[in-house]
Amino acid sequence: MTDTQPETEASVTIVVDGQEVAARPGELLIDACERAGTYIPRFCYHERMKPVGMCRMCLVEVDTGRGMGLQPSCMIPVAEGMTVDTQSEITKKAQDGILEFLLINHPLDCPVCDKGGECPLQDQTMAYGPGESRFVEEKRHYEKPIPISDTVFLDRERCILCDRCTRFAKEVAGDPLIHFQGRGNQTEVNTFPDEPFSSYFSGNTVQICPVGALTAKPYRFKARPWDLEETESTSVADAVGSRITVQSSRNQVLRYMGVDSDPVNWGWLSDKERFSFEAFNSDERITEPMARSGGDLEPVSWGAAIAAVGDALKNTDPSRLGIIGGARLTNESQFAFTKLAKGVLGTDNVDAQLGDGLPAELVLGLPRATIDQACAPGGTIILMGPDPKETLGALFLRLKHAAVEDGATIIEVTPHRTGLGQYAAHHLHPLPGETAALAAALVAETPALDTAGVSADAITAARAAIAGDGPVTVILGRASVAESAAVIADAALSLTSIPGVRFLSALSRSNVHGALDMGMSPGLLPGRSTLASGTANWPNTPSTAGMSTAQMLQAAADGSLDTILLLGADPISDFPDTDLAERALANATVIAVDLFETASTDHADAILPAAAPQEADGSFTNLEGRVTKISRKVTPPGTARPDWIIAAELAMAAGGDLGIESLDDVWAQIAAVSPAHAGIDTASLDANQRDGVVVEGTLDLPAASGVSPAVADAYAYRLVVSRRMYDAGTILANSPSSAHLASGTALHLHPVDFDALGLDRGAEVTVSSATGSVSLPVEPSGDVPRGVAAVPANQGDIVVGTLIAVGDVATNVRVERGDS
Amino acid sequence: MARFTPDNLELAHEIISRYPRKKSAVIPLLHLGQEQDGYVTNEAMEHIAELTEVTAAEVIGTCTFYEMFKTHPVGKYVINVCTNISCQLNGGEELLEHLEETLDIRSGGTTADGMFTIEDYECLAACTEAPCMQVNYRYFHRISNDEVDGVLSDIRSGKLADTIPEHGVLQRVRQTIPAGKLAGIAPPETVVDAPVWMARNEPILAARAAAKAAEEAAAANKATEATEANEKGDA
Amino acid sequence: MGYLQGFAVTFKKLTEDRVTTEYPEQKRPKADRLHGRHVLNRYEDGMEKCIGCELCAGVCPANCIYVRGKDNPDGDPVSPGERYGFIYEINYLRCIHCDMCVEACPTEAITESKLFEFSFTNRADAIYTKNELLVDDDGMPQHLPWEDWRPGEDEMTSGWMRATASSGNAAYEGKVAWSGELGYGVRAPEIGQSQDAPPADTSDSGAH
Repeated sequence: MTDTQPETEASVTIVVDGQEVAARPGELLIDACERAGTYIPRFCYHERMKPVGMCRMCLVEVDTGRGMGLQPSCMIPVAEGMTVDTQSEITKKAQDGILEFLLINHPLDCPVCDKGGECPLQDQTMAYGPGESRFVEEKRHYEKPIPISDTVFLDRERCILCDRCTRFAKEVAGDPLIHFQGRGNQTEVNTFPDEPFSSYFSGNTVQICPVGALTAKPYRFKARPWDLEETESTSVADAVGSRITVQSSRNQVLRYMGVDSDPVNWGWLSDKERFSFEAFNSDERITEPMARSGGDLEPVSWGAAIAAVGDALKNTDPSRLGIIGGARLTNESQFAFTKLAKGVLGTDNVDAQLGDGLPAELVLGLPRATIDQACAPGGTIILMGPDPKETLGALFLRLKHAAVEDGATIIEVTPHRTGLGQYAAHHLHPLPGETAALAAALVAETPALDTAGVSADAITAARAAIAGDGPVTVILGRASVAESAAVIADAALSLTSIPGVRFLSALSRSNVHGALDMGMSPGLLPGRSTLASGTANWPNTPSTAGMSTAQMLQAAADGSLDTILLLGADPISDFPDTDLAERALANATVIAVDLFETASTDHADAILPAAAPQEADGSFTNLEGRVTKISRKVTPPGTARPDWIIAAELAMAAGGDLGIESLDDVWAQIAAVSPAHAGIDTASLDANQRDGVVVEGTLDLPAASGVSPAVADAYAYRLVVSRRMYDAGTILANSPSSAHLASGTALHLHPVDFDALGLDRGAEVTVSSATGSVSLPVEPSGDVPRGVAAVPANQGDIVVGTLIAVGDVATNVRVERGDS
Repeated sequence: MARFTPDNLELAHEIISRYPRKKSAVIPLLHLGQEQDGYVTNEAMEHIAELTEVTAAEVIGTCTFYEMFKTHPVGKYVINVCTNISCQLNGGEELLEHLEETLDIRSGGTTADGMFTIEDYECLAACTEAPCMQVNYRYFHRISNDEVDGVLSDIRSGKLADTIPEHGVLQRVRQTIPAGKLAGIAPPETVVDAPVWMARNEPILAARAAAKAAEEAAAANKATEATEANEKGDA
Repeated sequence: MGYLQGFAVTFKKLTEDRVTTEYPEQKRPKADRLHGRHVLNRYEDGMEKCIGCELCAGVCPANCIYVRGKDNPDGDPVSPGERYGFIYEINYLRCIHCDMCVEACPTEAITESKLFEFSFTNRADAIYTKNELLVDDDGMPQHLPWEDWRPGEDEMTSGWMRATASSGNAAYEGKVAWSGELGYGVRAPEIGQSQDAPPADTSDSGAH
């Protein structure tokens, strides 16, 4: 009949309001009309979720060959020759009627509703609805508002039962903790009694709610939409680099909203990304430079502070000077500080990672994947890193979608089950310290043997998945700071033998990937180049690689490093070995450039206040290497200023000149030394606001270090210390709505191991390693394999860092009853 | 009160094993919970959620959707009086009023001794028998006020104990499925072979197919013969 | 002879009532709907009418209103419902007394008195805060020391005088479609043209 096959057909032709329109096969009518410029009103339909046809607002007259009839356009895919009339009298009457029905029980308390002014129900009632209601009866009344989670309020009266939040909770987040209850007129959305909607993604339901039924506690009654100004920016809460809009009123940022960036976050944000901005508004911010005089930190002028710090830097021998941190900074500021260290001061002791990351050469040397490549339909994803649900929320949603909707196969290679576990096809839990052995077994040709506590059968099954047709991506990071980075590095190098394999870095700390690209690591220069291969022609560039954070702290503790410059880093909280960090900072002259006073700045001799991301322009590099813009929305508090200005002034005070007076200067200099960043500047970032520009280019891979697996100790557990979404980190601790969400430190053991202790849930146990011992409550957990003791990192109550000795392949601990 | 008793837990596991997916057992387990406590307690719902690997929010969502699941304590005997149109015309509302007066409770309430709960109900699908009511979902047709009083006293005296079990009991003979008759307990997408029931039907289907084939063959033979005859005739 | 006509006009006017007044000692009565300094009203039970919705601020063409809402304190609510006006400021150096805020207010909280004679010596004084705008315990506008109030100027400040009040709609003639107010009670409806009766004396019709 036809000479084209339906599969290869590029488009189908439909008629929308008399105009012929080309639509994509399989596309929903509502989308096809919208692309053709005809907006069909809707409440329940959301382009990132499956349609349900709950609200009936998108009814239009459609002729599919059986005559015109009203159909919900979100539920019918386009078909050749379909005729749609979105403007007919019948369509208009249907829309008018649906709105009158929806408003029957809607309280119309718009003046006090946070959604008023940006409410789809308001807008569509104005555009399509009746002017008056014929409903004069009493409306429903519920208790209002009820908190359904720590950050979300529910106002059931306002709910129009569109199913968006409940679908989001189930389909997108995978936490179906809210559900329709009751039936008919009494249907409501609610949680189970006393079981809150404690999802890491609960804030998204507020953003997608088409009425004011779900509102966010941090934004409650803070402002109305018409006095908000907004600018698009990038989230710095983790390394995903989700696109956001920053909305402010009267020079105060009031909320972040997710922006649908197709290659990155699809409009979703984790609650940490959404709500942790509160910290930047905190009264605890450092607002003026401070210097220690007579034991106390006293405010000083910028001139005096810069001069004093510049002197201190200039007068320290470059080999006895170190710079720790920088992951919080924008790319531009990172470049400025790299140039200050490696071009002016002449030291290579610069490390943006705090001993909890991976070797920079490895991250930059491995073939990189984008999120889209990792989530490709039918692909295989090897998760060898931290729990993405805990550390990289928006990435977790993409990975979950890939597994559930797009047929991706997930292989978990983690010390214990992660939030992605229930969507994973294979669960391999190697003993900490033996991950490299398991990785080698996964790619070996010989028949599989039991390895690293994982059965041969499981390895054989995972091998089959890896050998499948789809692309293989490794999500690579440190699942536990109690396991050496060398183990993960060796494991990653083994996996490079998989044909076509790509790696997506799961380092989670803010702009750490920008820091690596800008050379904030020993031995590196900007643009993914080394001291040897780099083209930076700076006056004082060191020729030999400097020290890492661990080495610097060790050197400071030993007295062979005098001055430490902390760039938004808090080693005492974040470096795995707390003892070492304490001793190092107590021993050295410490200069901090930070937003807040932290445990580490208590040791500082001078503090320079920096501007937060929403207070300075710049750019961000996410875990794919994607550079996107960070935009300034408000002014910094007090006299705080952008980090790159601080770097430039310090360079002047230290007798050098960075040659940087604007961000354009920075990009001009980056372009000169980094071929990888070719074509990126403020103009190109402005032009690619949403999707950004992906940096390409790799280093030579380092050789495997060949660490020997951890020594087995029949009486000991292997310690796993992993990051959670909520911890006692500086930013979260200063955001009122997130500060109390840290779970608290508890030891998690396999139920059998737990029973062997003969203790009750929550009883105190003493955990001791070669370096220290702490006492903490113990809980059974089915997610933890036998022989493993899992503890969350940095929860603020109990310091488990004393158990860890940096450099040890794994940490063996003994667990004893608290009273012994 | 509360979670399943050990006996009921065993039964719950048996019920779950009947279904390809654990989630399918939510409604039968809600019935079990209601049978145990007279209504579905929050603890029972949490227990069901654990057993069927869904969240408690999903269980309560299912539970509250169905009128027959009570989430608050009700009497041992729940009386539903139809006040929909046919019964209303034939005295349904008077019947309800009479019950309210006799038991001294409002519709929706429970007597102090915990015996009776009255509910004002929509159509019970017995319009030809109006006015009608149900006691624990057992019908009473064309019932007069006097007859209602009789039913109440019969229930109190235990006369109707055989026909009307206490609220929550669906049936006293529990269904069991013989081992050989199970439909197969794997999720459909994992089943490669034909389901068990299909295998049972296979001989029958094969016999039918054979019969049909034979019939077709016979018909075809006839047709060929006829054509051949025609051709001969033409020639 | 034509000039005599001119004189005639002069002499005739000498005996007529004078139009000019000895302002500021004497003032003419002001129109009922004159747009003067704002007041923030209370309900009859003393609760504040303002709910902090910021509609007035949103509609203000001069951008002179600053409002912030807040959750009503538990057990001691300032206004009915969840939200009350926590901050309310009007900058009278910018205000053009257009009454758009009064029209926009969903609760008849902000209305205007007939006082327009007030002056300041610095910018800060020109920004009226909630303390100054809110009516007193009797429901009457506060007479601030630097303002020249004359009798009657503090009356008739109700929401019913809004152009968009339902009293302006013939279908609502004679119907009360506004809430009661501290100091005035529920205002009687206006009598429109369809009634023969003379306009009611509304100045004290609802007072009690």
